[in-house]
Amino acid sequence: MKYRLTLDYTVPEGTLAPYFDALRQGQALAAQCTSCAATSFPPRPICGACGGREMNWRDLTGRAGVVRRTDTENGAFALVRFDGADGLATVALANPAERQAAGRLAVPPDARPGLWLQLENEDDDHA
Amino acid sequence: MSGVVVAGGAMTPFNRRKDGSGMRDWARAAFFDAVADARLEAGDIDALVVASESDFFTLQLNPAALIADELGLFGIAAQRVEGGGASGHLAVHAGAAMVMAGRARRVAVVGLEPSASHLPGAAVGALYGLSFDAWTDGMTGIDSTSLYALSVQAFMEETGAGQDDFAAIAVRNRQNARANPNAHLPLDIAAADVAASPVIAQPYRRLDCSPLSDGAACVILAGAAGLPDGGAGRARIAGMGVANDRVRLGERARPGRFEAKGVAMRRALAEAGATAAEIGLAEIYDSYSGAQLQALDGLGLAGDVVGAEREGVFAADGALPVNLSGGLLGQGAPVGATGVAQVLACALQLEGRYFGRRVATPPRYALADTHGGVATLNAVSILEAAR
Repeated sequence: MKYRLTLDYTVPEGTLAPYFDALRQGQALAAQCTSCAATSFPPRPICGACGGREMNWRDLTGRAGVVRRTDTENGAFALVRFDGADGLATVALANPAERQAAGRLAVPPDARPGLWLQLENEDDDHA
Repeated sequence: MSGVVVAGGAMTPFNRRKDGSGMRDWARAAFFDAVADARLEAGDIDALVVASESDFFTLQLNPAALIADELGLFGIAAQRVEGGGASGHLAVHAGAAMVMAGRARRVAVVGLEPSASHLPGAAVGALYGLSFDAWTDGMTGIDSTSLYALSVQAFMEETGAGQDDFAAIAVRNRQNARANPNAHLPLDIAAADVAASPVIAQPYRRLDCSPLSDGAACVILAGAAGLPDGGAGRARIAGMGVANDRVRLGERARPGRFEAKGVAMRRALAEAGATAAEIGLAEIYDSYSGAQLQALDGLGLAGDVVGAEREGVFAADGALPVNLSGGLLGQGAPVGATGVAQVLACALQLEGRYFGRRVATPPRYALADTHGGVATLNAVSILEAAR
């Protein structure tokens, strides 16, 4: 049998709505724990370091260094460290043909959630 | 210590079905063969646990009710268990817990998944991308192979593991699968074939990756008192452990290490009253060749897992044979069925009646290890031979 299912989701973003709003502008909005100051990006509603439940929003520069990357037929992905964040984040590389070791958060294509990084030279300044 | 006996079990071949059969057929075949293997009748079953990873794959919500009906089981306790790649193994744990709690006497655990035949591979890959944090990972288009690749790069850097080690595993598991009539990829390949296969996500090549498979597996769990002969000769589940890790790889202190497996392992060992050194056989979740080494490392089955790999410890004739079934790389991976089949393989090995490559001398303990995500949700069972 053949059956075609087309789904069109609308997903409320809840407490992370400010993060996604910023992301759609290409801006990095992190969560900072009011108890231990750990900064998570992408943000966590509960601190990953101390379990604190009070978080403040904190703007990051959006710049990140590439720690690891892997290239596939359909693009490239990387573990990166955003300046000011305590952990690493997984990103899709917006310009996978480039090989620079740093980049800046990019506006997601088609307003999708998720993190895209535009690779650029570390001394480039587009701020 | 659990007193749950694996009274019997069966599985269908794992492969890409081209014979027109469907998941309902596979579930029936596995179930009735398992009941017969347990020397029971279908009417003896008073609870059913169904494992299936995704309704997107099966196109069937509420699959436990459907499968119970398909099996002709009515008026029984039925439930579905899901935990990504660990779904089948978690279903075994759920069934065992029902027996241990006295909520059921004989539980059928049926794992199934039409991972290969229902949807195009690209669609399955896109859905698998939602197995991680869908909001931050999946919607970028990142796939499972890429996340595993990023993780194993860290493992390689920390341990000195190399692509040659991964190729040796990819070859060995496929060679083991050649003795398994139910295996998806019983390939006679060499390391050069792995190196020549296309890169999927560095460092992984196609032959480093497990396939998408169709199939079903079933085990019958019971207390000894629920079996006609007290379960004589059948293995039992001596210990179980589950532990999760952070979903987002970048938030882990050591993204290359499967540390939550160690937590699950310690819980299982404590329940079994056993030590890691007593494990004489293992079925490991080798979704990727390197993941097998990462899993063995996380489980604490070798102090220097790379050195042990190179010394042949995990070969069929080694001190700790791993994935004699072929593992996911060789036997295949119909997700909901995978963990059930791993537990079944361990039980049959301990009983000396495994249908594939057998361990030379059945040990006292065997270990089954399964996970969902990149070792995000980890399930471990330790099975003990009848004494």
